[in-house]
Amino acid sequence: MTDYQVQSNEVGIFQAAIDNHLPLLIKGPTGCGKTKFVEHMAEKLKRPLYTIACHDDLSASDLVGRHLIGKDGTFWQDGPLTKAVREGGVCYIDEIVEARKDTTVVLHPLSDHRRILPLEKNGEIIEAHKDFVLVVSYNPGYQNLLKGLKPSTKQRFVTLEFDYPKEELEISIVCQQTAIDIKTASQLVGLAREIRNLKDSDINESVSTRLIIYTALMIKNGLSAQDACNHCLILPLTDEQETIEALKRLVNNYF
Amino acid sequence: MEEFVGEVWHKIITKKTETNYQDSKVTLDDQGARLAVYYRALGGNSAHNINGCDKRVVTTRRMWLQKIAGNGRKFHLTWKNQHGLYLPPYIAQFADKRLNENLYYWLASMAAQETVCDNIIENNRRLTLQLIQSHPGLKRQYFELVDTLLTQRPRYPEQGDDYLQEQAIQASLKNPEQSLLIPSTRFQHHPVPLWIYPSEAYLLSVDDETEEELTGHSDIIDDKKTIKKQAQRIDDERETDGLIIFQLESLFSWSEQVNLDRCEDETENEDSESAAEDLDIISLAKKRKAGSAGIKFDLDLPAPENDDLPLGSGMKLPEWNYKTKSFKKDFCLVQPMLSDEALPCPLPSHLKPTANKLAQLFSHLSCNPARINKQQDGSEIDMDSWMEGLASNFKDTSKQNFFINDKKSLRDISCLLLTDISLSTEAHVSESKRVIDCIRDSIFVFSEALQYSQDPFAIYGFSSIKNKQVRYQMIKNYSEPYSDQVRGRIQAIKPGFYTRMGAAIRQSTLLLEKQPTKQKLLLIVSDGKPNDLDQYEGRYGVEDTRQAILEAKQKGITPFCITIDTKANDYLPYLFGSQNFSIIKRPQDLCVELPKLYLNLTSSLS
Repeated sequence: MTDYQVQSNEVGIFQAAIDNHLPLLIKGPTGCGKTKFVEHMAEKLKRPLYTIACHDDLSASDLVGRHLIGKDGTFWQDGPLTKAVREGGVCYIDEIVEARKDTTVVLHPLSDHRRILPLEKNGEIIEAHKDFVLVVSYNPGYQNLLKGLKPSTKQRFVTLEFDYPKEELEISIVCQQTAIDIKTASQLVGLAREIRNLKDSDINESVSTRLIIYTALMIKNGLSAQDACNHCLILPLTDEQETIEALKRLVNNYF
Repeated sequence: MEEFVGEVWHKIITKKTETNYQDSKVTLDDQGARLAVYYRALGGNSAHNINGCDKRVVTTRRMWLQKIAGNGRKFHLTWKNQHGLYLPPYIAQFADKRLNENLYYWLASMAAQETVCDNIIENNRRLTLQLIQSHPGLKRQYFELVDTLLTQRPRYPEQGDDYLQEQAIQASLKNPEQSLLIPSTRFQHHPVPLWIYPSEAYLLSVDDETEEELTGHSDIIDDKKTIKKQAQRIDDERETDGLIIFQLESLFSWSEQVNLDRCEDETENEDSESAAEDLDIISLAKKRKAGSAGIKFDLDLPAPENDDLPLGSGMKLPEWNYKTKSFKKDFCLVQPMLSDEALPCPLPSHLKPTANKLAQLFSHLSCNPARINKQQDGSEIDMDSWMEGLASNFKDTSKQNFFINDKKSLRDISCLLLTDISLSTEAHVSESKRVIDCIRDSIFVFSEALQYSQDPFAIYGFSSIKNKQVRYQMIKNYSEPYSDQVRGRIQAIKPGFYTRMGAAIRQSTLLLEKQPTKQKLLLIVSDGKPNDLDQYEGRYGVEDTRQAILEAKQKGITPFCITIDTKANDYLPYLFGSQNFSIIKRPQDLCVELPKLYLNLTSSLS
C-alpha cells in the first residue's frame, strides 16, 4: 500500500466520481501530492494505473496508438490510453496543458456520457471498459493565454483542488517519507512555509512538499542542514543573487 | 578658525558620548533588496516599501556629557505603518559588521510579525519570544546581539526610577520569556535598537485619511528619498480665523481664501535639505487640498507652439452608448500626436542591468527551433507518418508527407503597447517615483527586450480631453526601427488630461489589424478606470471600453490589460474577461513584469 496521507475529503469525492463513471480533473501546484494520490487510489481500487506525463511534443497518437513495423509488415500498437479504455484501469494524464492541442480533443468523447474512444487511423470505435477511469491533472500556476485549459474541456470533469498540506500534516508526511526526526522536519516545513510567502512576488515556483522531502533525505544522509537547504530549497527556485542571499538568511534563522 | 575648532570639538565630544562604529557601518541601500525579500518571506505585507526612517526625538535621561555634546536626544527608531516599513538608513551600532547586518534582519523579522499589544515593551517582548521560539537559528543571533548590546546600555546611578526601569528592560532583553512590570519614569526609556516602535509613539497621531496625502506629497527631501520625517498636524480647521488687515469693502473684485500647497516648491535652495534634517517637526496643514477639491474644469490645451506636433487633422471614430445600445457615429476625434522636439537619448543607465538580462532571454525566442511533422520536404524522416503511409498504402502521392521540417522561427506575432498617460499617472508611488516614471521605465525595458525577439511592435500613449480631442501619442510605429530617436520620445512622455480608453483601443485595433502576422497582441497598460470630463466617467466609459475590446477580439486581436490599480478586480474581469488581465501590486515592479508577461503570453506560440 502506498503511504499516502489523506488531506481532506478527496478520497470520498474520487470514489463517488468513479462510481458514476465521471472523469476527474486534479489541479494544484507542483509537488503537492497529485500523482501520489492517484497512485494511492489506483492501488486502493485494485486497478492498473497508466500514467502519461505530458510534454510539449506529445501528440494524440502517443496517447491513442500508432502503426509500427513488424516482420510481416505494419501492425497497430495501442497507446496507453487505448489500453486503459479496452482493459479497464486508471488512466492518469499528468500536466495536460503541456500537451499539444489535439490531445485534449481525443479526450472529449471519453469524458462525457458517450465514453467512447474513436480511433481515427484504423476506423475503430472502442467503448470504454466499465472499470476505466480518466484522471487528468494540471498546474494552474502560470498565467499563459495560450496554454490554459479550454473552458469546454475543463467543464467536463469533476474537479479536485490540491494545495500544499497543512503544517502538521506536512510535518508528518516528511517524517514518514524520510524517517527524519520531528524537530528537523518541523523546522524544514516552517522554512518552506516562509519561502512560500514569496510566491508570485519574488519566486515563480514555490517550495513543494517533494522538495522538502528531498532536503530531509539529504540531511538524513549526513549533509549539513545549511547545505541541504541551499541545494534543495534555494537554488532550484531562483537565480536572482539578492533573493538567494535573502533565502539563505531564512535558512540561518532555523539552522 | 572658529568654525574649524567648533568642528573638531563637535567630533571629539560626539565620539565620546555615542556608540557609533563608522568603519563597520551597514547601510540600508546595500541591504534593502535582500531585506525586502526577507521581510516578505516572514509574512510582511508584500505591498510594503522598505524606507529609511528619520531620527526621532526621545526625551531620555541624559548624562551631562551628552547634554554638552547635544546628542542622545534623537534616535533612529524602526516603525511601520500601512504603507511600509521604516528602518534606520544605516546601522553602526556594533564594532562587528556581521552584527550590524544581523541587526537589520532582526528588525525586519520583528516588523514582519503582527503587532500584539499597544505597550511598546510588552509588544517587543512578545514578538521576540514568538520569533526565538520558532526559529532556533534566529535565537542564537538574537542572544549574540543582546550580549553585545547590554555592554552599551546607559549606566544610571543606582537609585531612582531610571535605574529600575533600565534594569527591567535589560532583564526583559536577556529573558524574554518572563513578563516584567516595567516602572514608568519621568523620562522615556533609552531606545533599544532591537525593538520596533509604533509610528506615533512620541508625537501626535496622524489620521489615516490625511496620512495618505502626507506620503504622497512629502517631497521635502528629494535626495534622501527614503527618509521619513516626523509630522505633526496643526489645527487649521477653523477657516474663519484668517487674518484680514484691510476692509473687504475696499476690494474691487471678489476673492476667497486659497490654500496654497507650498510643499511642492520646485525652487528649493540647497540648504533646505539640511534645514529639514535639523527640524524635528514639519507642520503640515490638514486641509491643504480643500481649495481644489470640489472644482472640475476643462484643462486648457497647451499653446500650439508648446504642444506636440499633430499628425494630420485627426480621425473620427464611433463611440458606444450603452443606454441606446447603438454607436454614436464619428463621435470621437482621435488626434495622433508626435513629440517632434524630443531629443534622441540613450537608455537611462539605471535600467541597463534589467534590460541586459531581458535581452538574453528574448534573444532566445527568435531562434527557438520548432519541428513540424508531416511535411512534403524537410531535414528528417517522420517515422510516424511514413509507417502510417505504409499501413494504409496511399496511392495518392499528395498524402505522402513523410518529412519533419526544422524551421528556425515560427513566431508570427505583432504587438501594440498602448499606455495610459493621463494626468492620474502623475500620482506618487513612493517619495521619489511617480506612476508615469514606472510606466516610462517599463516602456524602455519592454522595447529593449522586444527588439531582440524580432517581433514587430509599436508603442502608443493616449490621453483625452472629452470626445473632441483624444490624443494618440505616437512613440514608435511598426515601420520605424527602435532607435535613440524613439528613446528620446519615451523620455519625453508627460502625463496630462483624461482616459478615454475606448477610442484609443479602437484606433489601436485599426493599426494592429493591418499587421500581416497571424497573432496580434494588444497590451494595455493602465492605472485605473476609464474616465473623462463628460459622461465618460462611470458606467458609460466602462461599457464603451468593453465594446471596443469586444470589437478587437472579433477582429482576431488578443487584448490584454496590465494594471497597477489594486482595485481593478472590480471591473477588469468585466472588461477583459477573467484571464486577460494582470494586476501588479507594486508599480515599481511594472518594468520587470511587463516583459515577463509578454514572454509568458507569447512563449508557447512558436
